[in-house]
Amino acid sequence: MNRILFTAAGCARCIIARKFMIERSIACEEHDAVGEGKELFGRFYRDHRSAIFRGKEGIEFPVLAEGAEIRQGVAAVIAWLLAGPRLDGFIGRSELSKGWVGGVHVSGGDPAATNDLVAVLGVLKKHGLRLQLDTDGRNASVLETLLDKGIGDRLVMDLKGPRALYRLLLGAEVDPAEISRTMALATRFAEYRFETMVAPVPAPGSDPGALRYLTPEEIAETAGWLKEATGSHRQPYTLRWFDPQTQPGHRLRSVEKLPPHALLRHRTAARRHQVLAEIEARSA
Amino acid sequence: MTYPSVYPTGATLYDPGRCWNGYTIFQAKEVGALLIDMNGGEVQLWKELHGMPNRIFPGGYLIGSTGERSTAYSSQDGIDLVQVDWDGNIVWRFNQYEFVEDPGEESQWMARQHHDYQREGNPVGYYAPGLEPLVDRGKTLILSHKNVRNPVICDKPLLDDTIIEVTWEGDVVWEWICSEHFEELGFREDAKNLLFRNPNWLRAGGGMGDWMHINSMSALGPNRWFDAGDARFHPDNIIWCAREANLSAILDKASGRIVWRLGPNYDETAELRRLGWIIGQHHAHMIPRGLPGEGNILIFDNGGWAGYGSPNPGSVTGFRNALRDYSRVLEIDPISLKVVWQYTPVEAGLPFPVDANRFYSPFISSAQRLPNGNTLITEGSGGRIIEVTAGHEIVWEYISPYWGTMLKINMIYRAYRVPYEWVPQLERPRERPIERIDVSRFRVPGASPSGARRVVSVEGVLPYRPDAALCVRTDVGDAASKETSR
Repeated sequence: MNRILFTAAGCARCIIARKFMIERSIACEEHDAVGEGKELFGRFYRDHRSAIFRGKEGIEFPVLAEGAEIRQGVAAVIAWLLAGPRLDGFIGRSELSKGWVGGVHVSGGDPAATNDLVAVLGVLKKHGLRLQLDTDGRNASVLETLLDKGIGDRLVMDLKGPRALYRLLLGAEVDPAEISRTMALATRFAEYRFETMVAPVPAPGSDPGALRYLTPEEIAETAGWLKEATGSHRQPYTLRWFDPQTQPGHRLRSVEKLPPHALLRHRTAARRHQVLAEIEARSA
Repeated sequence: MTYPSVYPTGATLYDPGRCWNGYTIFQAKEVGALLIDMNGGEVQLWKELHGMPNRIFPGGYLIGSTGERSTAYSSQDGIDLVQVDWDGNIVWRFNQYEFVEDPGEESQWMARQHHDYQREGNPVGYYAPGLEPLVDRGKTLILSHKNVRNPVICDKPLLDDTIIEVTWEGDVVWEWICSEHFEELGFREDAKNLLFRNPNWLRAGGGMGDWMHINSMSALGPNRWFDAGDARFHPDNIIWCAREANLSAILDKASGRIVWRLGPNYDETAELRRLGWIIGQHHAHMIPRGLPGEGNILIFDNGGWAGYGSPNPGSVTGFRNALRDYSRVLEIDPISLKVVWQYTPVEAGLPFPVDANRFYSPFISSAQRLPNGNTLITEGSGGRIIEVTAGHEIVWEYISPYWGTMLKINMIYRAYRVPYEWVPQLERPRERPIERIDVSRFRVPGASPSGARRVVSVEGVLPYRPDAALCVRTDVGDAASKETSR
């Protein structure tokens, strides 16, 4: 199988990926995408633009191409080399830099692949990278395994909303007891925070397509649940803005954007149970 | 600043026919919120109720605070803002802005209020016809503190100023955070450079930079500028001033953006140069509709020491590099920036500049326009409140008799005159004139009467000449001696 690894000169994450391949005797064709392989990568990028993410700071390397499969970023590349597609749900694109790796979605993968996940993250840790894990509360047992093995330098829990709306907000079946367990586990990480996006949910009434935002009372319930699950009213808890423009479907894109001070009442409500609740800075 | 060690306190001067008579409320140092009549009679004390400032609202309600946060952890944070009735019962309270957990102190919610607040119904918190603050409902604007980090301003923790709007029920429904508007404030590169290194560093709480020190905040209210189509002066917009930056500004309530600015530099246009450098100012506000001068900006320009910029002989680092040893009360047209009226050492009748520092409060202080055109001025550091006419005559004067024990000063942060009708619990007091004492003849008990016991003449002596023997020139121009039109 033709395996090509695009790296960038001086890229520490590329060196980690290359070293991993050498240690495992995984053969590949390597090209410096900013040096001798610039033209080749340019053609590759044009042919696979939709599969390669280009952020504000450019394209993150390494990029691995193996047949039709393309993986970008050190975590995704090593995960593919070690476990193939089994870790796809767990490891996505990282938007972090300066020694941090993100895009590790604890809730997104198959718990049966937990050992593979531990192995991949262990490689990254061994090379000094710091790991940010995220969770929506599912796969509490996977999170506990990572915690017990000391993997994960920071945890971000996306607490979707109150118990009654959790399944609706997540778009999947969920056991509230597992969400509670994850909240408690989260507090055992050296660094952690809880976030709730004030998102739209179906509005009661005759129009089945109508949406309305989570209310301050529902945010208060969510904050109260967090207090109940963790035993503390001092959790780092951030309310996040919903941005209709970045949503995938027309229905969500057509939701009216919240006005600038709309979340202040939500913050007041949240602070009834979580005194440190804050609102994320809104991007322009 | 040449104070004798003995001088009278209380009301020292009163011309009832030329005053806008009413009660005056102020925070008496370490005593409480004190309401006095025109003769200085202390008609009610809300004992040990704090207030920055205290205000009286219609019905005899008082606004204040039940206490302050430990100064070991912050600076000037009021625990709460409360409205109490005539009998001292708390009828409204706000404290849920931040849950504060200071080591060794009781953990609690705090408003972190400081320096100002405004209740819906009245933009500035003092009497103006038809603009009564609501007393049983309505929103309240509160000037508060928040600790932030903003590496664009400084790499150290900052004590930031915020303005919040809270409902009667206590919900925060609007918030403005000063540091988020840093690039709109007009700091030049030398000021930004210094701010980064020294954002007015306080040792409290492990250290924080009180970088702006906003000390007043009020709504504009209805005004002629907005009526004429100038959207910068929307009645909901808010004017504030920051002493450390020598800056007054109006923010647009809807967007939060700064839409009008006075300072921090006063050398960039001919209008600003004519106005002169405003330093460490307090109580910048728009004179509310219905009062003489409505629509103009009234400012107590303290002088003293403030600002960020380049070093000069008075400031080796450029920190607080603007200096002046007298104060000015300025009424300014916000469009032309012309001074419409002023009260400075010159109008006070003090030889300028040699005796200018006798009208001088380097911190706190305020000015309130009264319905008859008089102005109530709090010259705060010396605990003096005066009512002056448009023609600059003092028709009422009061000196606070309350010196603190922890800080030996009789300072008054800000006093307000309120109409008798706002305190219906009291019979209208009798107004007794207080004639100006001839201090050249007044003697305290035990002192000899004035006049030489024996006078001898010396042949050949010449008469005294005017302005003959001062060591400094007195004919130099200065902002304090500008002509005014009102």
